[in-house]
Amino acid sequence: MSSQDEKRASGPEPSGSPGRRLSRRSLLQGAATAGAAGLAVTAVGAAASPAVAATRTPAAHAAPEMSTAARGHGEASTAAGPIMVHVRDAKSGDIEVFSGTSQTRLRDKDLAARIARAAR
Amino acid sequence: MSSHREAPEISKDPVADSTDVYTFVSPDKPDSVTLIANYIPLQSPAGGPNFYEFGDDVLYEIHVDNNGDGQADITWQFRFTTTVANPNTFLYNTGPIESIGSPNWNRRQSYDVTVVSGFSEATIGSGLASPPCNIGPLSTPNYGTVAGQAVHDLGNGITVFAGQRAEAFYVDLGSIFDLGDLRPFENLHATFGLPGLPAAPGVNATNHLNVHSIAIQVPISLVTRSGHPTIGVWTTASRQRVRLWDADSGMNIDAGPFRQVSRLGNPLVNEVLIPLGHKDQWNSLPPSDDKLFAGYVTQPGLAALLPTLYPGVFPNLAALVSSGKPRADLEAILLTGIPAGIIPGFQNFTGTVLADMLRLNTSIAPTPAGKQSIFGLLGGDPAGFPNGRRVTDDVVAIELRAIAGVTYPLIDKSFTPDAAAGQLTDGLTPASVSAPPLGQFPYLGVPYSGYDNPS
Repeated sequence: MSSQDEKRASGPEPSGSPGRRLSRRSLLQGAATAGAAGLAVTAVGAAASPAVAATRTPAAHAAPEMSTAARGHGEASTAAGPIMVHVRDAKSGDIEVFSGTSQTRLRDKDLAARIARAAR
Repeated sequence: MSSHREAPEISKDPVADSTDVYTFVSPDKPDSVTLIANYIPLQSPAGGPNFYEFGDDVLYEIHVDNNGDGQADITWQFRFTTTVANPNTFLYNTGPIESIGSPNWNRRQSYDVTVVSGFSEATIGSGLASPPCNIGPLSTPNYGTVAGQAVHDLGNGITVFAGQRAEAFYVDLGSIFDLGDLRPFENLHATFGLPGLPAAPGVNATNHLNVHSIAIQVPISLVTRSGHPTIGVWTTASRQRVRLWDADSGMNIDAGPFRQVSRLGNPLVNEVLIPLGHKDQWNSLPPSDDKLFAGYVTQPGLAALLPTLYPGVFPNLAALVSSGKPRADLEAILLTGIPAGIIPGFQNFTGTVLADMLRLNTSIAPTPAGKQSIFGLLGGDPAGFPNGRRVTDDVVAIELRAIAGVTYPLIDKSFTPDAAAGQLTDGLTPASVSAPPLGQFPYLGVPYSGYDNPS
């Protein structure tokens, strides 16, 4: 059903980190996308974990004295994690999907159309 | 400011806003270098009840380039985690915080340190405690002792600290941002037809303010390549690409890969040299892309402004600007390092790649405290800025003087700098900072307390 043109950029390091360098083109592309992100950012899957504050692996970072409420938030992040979908262009089906510290770029006109309909 | 609120976007995100980078051979441990990156500018010490803290959602990094390509060869990453012992009180602390593990400390931060080199990475510290903010004599008695407990030995000669410190960068913001006024010279200012002002002493706008510092001390042998003692250092802060405000939980949700939002190497480059329309772009790019901005270094707008702001004071600088000759001296100081043969016995050249990095020739021994010049290399002290940067270096005066032409004879001996160029200053010295630097790691002074500095 969909012709996917996926580009995945994963890992927690930004462009400047050694061994994780992106091309200048991708850097500029990222900057441009970030500028347009406000146009259509949709959270999918986050509703079930309403208090996820970060996408890091919380087990390694949760301090022992963390409150029950705060710990619950972190565990929710581990179990599911929010998935953010950015429909860059509904007409062409250009979609970015963000989860954890990764992003996936895909082209899926049907999915984009369904999201666009849901947004109306 | 050095890099405080220097660009439109980052000025709205203080938690990720880098303010200063210091890099020097550790004076009390000269086989090591100390790298310090400051964040969260202009903290009013009394700013409670939610006192300042690092961002759990920010990736802080300190980078070292040791082969001159303007890209990181070694990166230390710092990620913070905030914990609240009792969410049912509004208090930061419920009694005196007399030790780093005090149960009276309600909201605290810890952090992990990861080193990335090539394609390998390793976590070298986990759950490391940051100190509390300095609140006052009842909440944080013996602050220095508690903060000292937040200095962590990670083994292999590596020591880290991350927490609040006194602002060490001294600058007269109030006058400089008033149309380039320098109080000691304001009797010479054009004043745009407004009534003139008499010369006056400088006023340190950052005195009694705090910052948050990330400091790491590492063996020189760990960061240099054999036979290449000069390193380039800078810091970055990055955020994930997507943020959603979850109104139901009252928290943000972040997702996606991290992207750089703040960068700092040499002081004042993005602040003063890069024009407003490119500052945020500059913040998002690595030093290896700085050839894009080289023209703003070699033809600095401030050099053209000085003769206008101070009529008749800088005739030789005005002629140099009019000639259109590129400022190769500034390019060397800020973008490549100074090659051998320019200054006798000194070089911190890293190659031809134009990259804004704080370059430190680690083979140059620290200058004893009593013999240091706050004007660094301009003052004949090769262990100071722009060979790295010490806590007390007067980078405002050094860069003002360089831009005004003092360093141009390095590449054109026929040029005579204006007499005023070598005198430029905003009228401040390290004595303008009330909290003195420490003699040992992390070197920056004890932060000002809210009780003693309520406004």
